[in-house]
Amino acid sequence: MTTTAEGVSLKEKLLADFELQKTAFFPDNPVLSGFRNNAAEAFKNLGFPNKKWEEYRYLNFDNFLKSELNHSLTAPSHPVEIESNLIVEDAYNLFLVDGFYNRNLNLKNEWPEGIVVSSLADAIASKNIHTLMHLGMHSKSDNDAFKALNNSLFQDGLFIYIPSNVNLEKPFQIVQINEGNEPKITQPRILIVAEENSTSSFIHLQITSNHSQKTVCNGFAEIVVGENANTSWYNVQQIAENAAAVQTTEAYLQKNATFETVTVTLAGKLIRNNLTIALNGRQSVAHLDGFYFPKLNETFDNHTLVDHQVPNCESNELYKGAIAGNGTAIFNGKVFVRQDAQKTNAYQSNKNILLSEDATVNTKPQLEIYADDVKCSHGSSTGFIDSEQLFYLRSRGISEGIAKALLLDAYAAEVINKIKHESLRNKLSEIISEMIQLIK
Amino acid sequence: MLSIRNLHARVEEKEILKGFSLEVKPGEVHAIMGPNGSGKSTLASVLAGREDYEVTSGDIIFEGKDLLELSPEDRAREGIFLAFQYPVEIPGVSITNFLKTAINEQRAYRGLPPMEPKEFLQLMKDKKAVVEMDTNLTNRSVNEGFSGGEKKRNEIFQMAMLQPKLAVLDETDSGLDIDALRIVATGVTRLKSKDNATIVITHYQRLLDYIVPDFVHVLYDGKIVKSGGKELALELEEKGYDWIKKEVALT
Repeated sequence: MTTTAEGVSLKEKLLADFELQKTAFFPDNPVLSGFRNNAAEAFKNLGFPNKKWEEYRYLNFDNFLKSELNHSLTAPSHPVEIESNLIVEDAYNLFLVDGFYNRNLNLKNEWPEGIVVSSLADAIASKNIHTLMHLGMHSKSDNDAFKALNNSLFQDGLFIYIPSNVNLEKPFQIVQINEGNEPKITQPRILIVAEENSTSSFIHLQITSNHSQKTVCNGFAEIVVGENANTSWYNVQQIAENAAAVQTTEAYLQKNATFETVTVTLAGKLIRNNLTIALNGRQSVAHLDGFYFPKLNETFDNHTLVDHQVPNCESNELYKGAIAGNGTAIFNGKVFVRQDAQKTNAYQSNKNILLSEDATVNTKPQLEIYADDVKCSHGSSTGFIDSEQLFYLRSRGISEGIAKALLLDAYAAEVINKIKHESLRNKLSEIISEMIQLIK
Repeated sequence: MLSIRNLHARVEEKEILKGFSLEVKPGEVHAIMGPNGSGKSTLASVLAGREDYEVTSGDIIFEGKDLLELSPEDRAREGIFLAFQYPVEIPGVSITNFLKTAINEQRAYRGLPPMEPKEFLQLMKDKKAVVEMDTNLTNRSVNEGFSGGEKKRNEIFQMAMLQPKLAVLDETDSGLDIDALRIVATGVTRLKSKDNATIVITHYQRLLDYIVPDFVHVLYDGKIVKSGGKELALELEEKGYDWIKKEVALT
């Protein structure tokens, strides 16, 4: 780990921050305190990843994880731009700035009765039963340094509760902003609890603003999908060229639950996604799709884990990337079928198109199957734009550049079209089209 | 309109065309027939500008321009259209979007503004009728999941939309049943005018029952070994290609 002249590494600095704050952070909640202590201990043992770690071997965080970064304890005081930071118009808009829920914005949200939206700190303070039951209760803290760090240091975040039988037509739009006015590392935390028979969808927009300094956003979103519930989670990532983000997303599916998630990674120096979906209720279904588009000097890394724990569940995964300039993409998709998970259907596919000679892809699909009566498949391909298709379009009078753009738009659309919100779909198609036109 | 002189072309290291020459004038229909491996598809590919084919000597002049100097898109914009033997599937690109783009790119090349949406839709409607194309097909992705017949019909539909000066039909009859063949051929015939020309590349005579050629050329071992009127096609149908091969061997 990089050390300063005084010899204090970022790791040591963050652990010292933890020690300073631990007695002040909900001392009356022994479960939470214990959980944070364990997480801090785990982070202390693990330290930040380096290239020797199999799970992080293609990522280099060295330029970011320096002791000049500060752990942010308070929300920025200046006002937040609302309109310009939204990607769709018709949604319940919520803002998380540097990990702090912004209560002060007049957002005119009117959601159906029974839905709870709150600052996570407030939810903990008021001993919200769902927060107590679910926050950090579904996954272990000691298997990933970034997750452990978020667990030990988050100060606030967002809590959303969707009661039983609520059918939400409008999506929530959660704008997770990192302010770049000073070097910092933030720990945004989100907990969504969707009760049985509910239908809800969330746009999780990760952006930056005022970005003059290096920042790292270390987010963690937990999503509990109840029996027969249907939850969509659309993650759009577009951060500054000197910003890094690690986003851990974990969904826990109960019986007959359906979880659909699309991760669209469009801009940022270094972005790592750790997506875990635990199918721990029978007949639950997960759709996880992604499109990533690293360009000049960008590295986007998607690690996914689908954990089939019980019988009769299904998962469908399609991740596609276009890699331009000297961009780097990493895909590591693990599908884990446990011994009890008979009659599992699990499909995974990863496709990559290289748009330049300097582009790099590292792809590693992994199936680990311990049950014997399952249908599983996986596949991975990496290549250039199809020359036959390109020639066909050109032979009709379409210039090479426009022909390539048409093919790339269509390539991305296969993933983007999985998004059920028309306006989000259209907006993303537009953004991606513009990016495609800029590369050549 | 088109003048091909002593054309030599190869793929990788193999020479396929070995001194091919052809003159095509406006209003004419030329049939190029020949056995497998004689160079028919190479000719189509060279005309359209496929990069894997290298022209080693000879030239192609189209409407006074050196065709070999032009990119595939510029050849199309100058008025050349190739109906592919094996049209490729392009998932995610709708036929409508594809043709709108192609037409407007060709118009821009000729200094014309983009076509009005209304005019474009009317053109689509009219031309679909010419090839008896199912209306729903144009909302689908280019050739994706199309049957062999639908793919070929889509080629002729594109030709109708783009209104080329010179159409090259590469084995358009292959894989078609008799009804599809009739529809495709009728489409081609209806699009004929005194100003445009057609080159029909085919192995079999049957397409020429519908698209009646002015000239029939026999391509063998990379060059034209015999030319004649439409009766030559009938003779080939009757006797096969062996007598041509023998004739060539004697000379």
